[in-house]
Amino acid sequence: MKPCGLLLLTLPLLLFSLFTQAAAALEPAKLKITPSTVELGTFYGGARMHIAGMAGAGCKVIVVVRGPSATEVFNKLGRVGPLWVNTGKVTISAAPSLLLIFSSEPVNTFLISAAIDRYQLNLGSLKKHIQIETKAPDRDRVADDFLAFKAHQGTYRIIPHSVQIGAPDQGGLPYNLDFEMPRAATPGKYQVSVLECPNGEVTDKSDVDLEVVEVGFPALISRLAKERASLYGIISILIAMVAGFGIDFIVFHIFKRKAAAH
Amino acid sequence: MWILLPVAGMSIQLPVLVGVGALVGFLSGMFGVSGGFLLTPILMMIGIPPTVAAASDSCQIVAGSSSGAAAHFRLGNVDLKIGSVLLLGGLAGAAVGVRIIKVLRAMGSADFAITVTYVVVLGTIGGYMFFESLQNLRRGALVPKSRRPTAEQGLLSRLPFQMNFPLSQVRHSVFVPFALGGAVGILAAIMGVGGGFIMLPMMVYLLRMPMHKAVGTSLFQILFTSAGVTFLQATTNHTVDLMLAILLAAGSTIGAQIGARISRLLRGDQLKILLATVVLVVMVKMALGLLMTPTLQITPAGGH
Repeated sequence: MKPCGLLLLTLPLLLFSLFTQAAAALEPAKLKITPSTVELGTFYGGARMHIAGMAGAGCKVIVVVRGPSATEVFNKLGRVGPLWVNTGKVTISAAPSLLLIFSSEPVNTFLISAAIDRYQLNLGSLKKHIQIETKAPDRDRVADDFLAFKAHQGTYRIIPHSVQIGAPDQGGLPYNLDFEMPRAATPGKYQVSVLECPNGEVTDKSDVDLEVVEVGFPALISRLAKERASLYGIISILIAMVAGFGIDFIVFHIFKRKAAAH
Repeated sequence: MWILLPVAGMSIQLPVLVGVGALVGFLSGMFGVSGGFLLTPILMMIGIPPTVAAASDSCQIVAGSSSGAAAHFRLGNVDLKIGSVLLLGGLAGAAVGVRIIKVLRAMGSADFAITVTYVVVLGTIGGYMFFESLQNLRRGALVPKSRRPTAEQGLLSRLPFQMNFPLSQVRHSVFVPFALGGAVGILAAIMGVGGGFIMLPMMVYLLRMPMHKAVGTSLFQILFTSAGVTFLQATTNHTVDLMLAILLAAGSTIGAQIGARISRLLRGDQLKILLATVVLVVMVKMALGLLMTPTLQITPAGGH
């Protein structure tokens, strides 16, 4: 084929591709989270997050922020005579490190229970999915206590009426959500999902990743503690001793000067 | 102002941590105890995971006891000779205690043994110190305190390798402080604490050391044991949070200085009765924890 012919064949294809990309850019995003990365720096005390997007007309919207699954070990308290003491260990896995569920209305008012269970949209449905390893006979009580513990910690939260739905626009419904990323968020890859629920069912689900990363001094400490444990141990002791003797030196000289002045 | 604790994996208010450190440092400087038996439960109450609380606690005790020991050393209150023997005994005892706890864990009764040991030891020491000091305070300064040896001390004085400890003005067989350090080391390892609150009464009542010398010497010993524990925690469990330890230390080093200075204004019996009160309050809190039905029947694993 001649070079001129090749150019004539590829030019329309190139133009078509550019056009479709531009059209996609103009179309409102289904889900956008700002910031896309949460940085855990020295003074991290939670982070303001904003989620916005466009849902289908007539939909109710649920936003789920889910942390990576983690395995956690607990002591199980039991009664020995009149005393409450640790009677064994409980290992809980397949539970997210963080679970935040936001919705425009209470989930059970517009979604059928099968869908709530499938997408784990309340603590009852999450309870069915978590794995509990224990010798204790009351597994149900262990699961309830685990969920209560996480709720008390602020890492499992269900907040209805938090997603704001705007007026219909371009055949869709714009939605907005402002929330605070918890202080107890740990580093990892989180998943943010938006569920569109028009008639008691989930018809569409959009996902986006949210990175939570340590930066600066906390990142340095974490790395040293995990990778250079002996060095980290020695540094910790030296810093503690220098702080102790240093303060003693300063206080002694302040008092000495005061005594000399009198 | 919030501050991120990277190993604990959570943020906490800066003034809270410095304040907690200052309170425990104050007690440390005043009574010659490491404060571990108080600090770890307080840290757990404010949400720090138990394993991180216990490990970081030992690191901040290094700072607090350095500050307190230096202040007491300058005041002539650190008996290096008897302190070294106690330290050697303590290290040997800790090694034995770690083995005992391993056996108890294998039997599945370690936690029960630890908690009951805590309540019994704290109750016995606190109760004895409280009532003894109260009696002395009631008698007042009119009745001079007898330093005449008791029957047990007569027996101890017949042991070989008698040694003078001039700073503390006592004479003992070298085996006595070594065995005492060993016994406290075993208890400290089982209970998972520095052992100052057990060591101090033992120094006063069994070794007959003056209260102020016992406080300074106890801090000297605690400095070395807590440094050892910090290193072990950092290398085996990776649970030392340096940020947490630094902030607690910022409070505790200043608190220890104030505590050491205030202790000079108080008589030995007054110091003893205050320490006994603190020990008894902790014992009552632990006893209530054992008897009252908990809200949640699971607690994060780890810690003492």
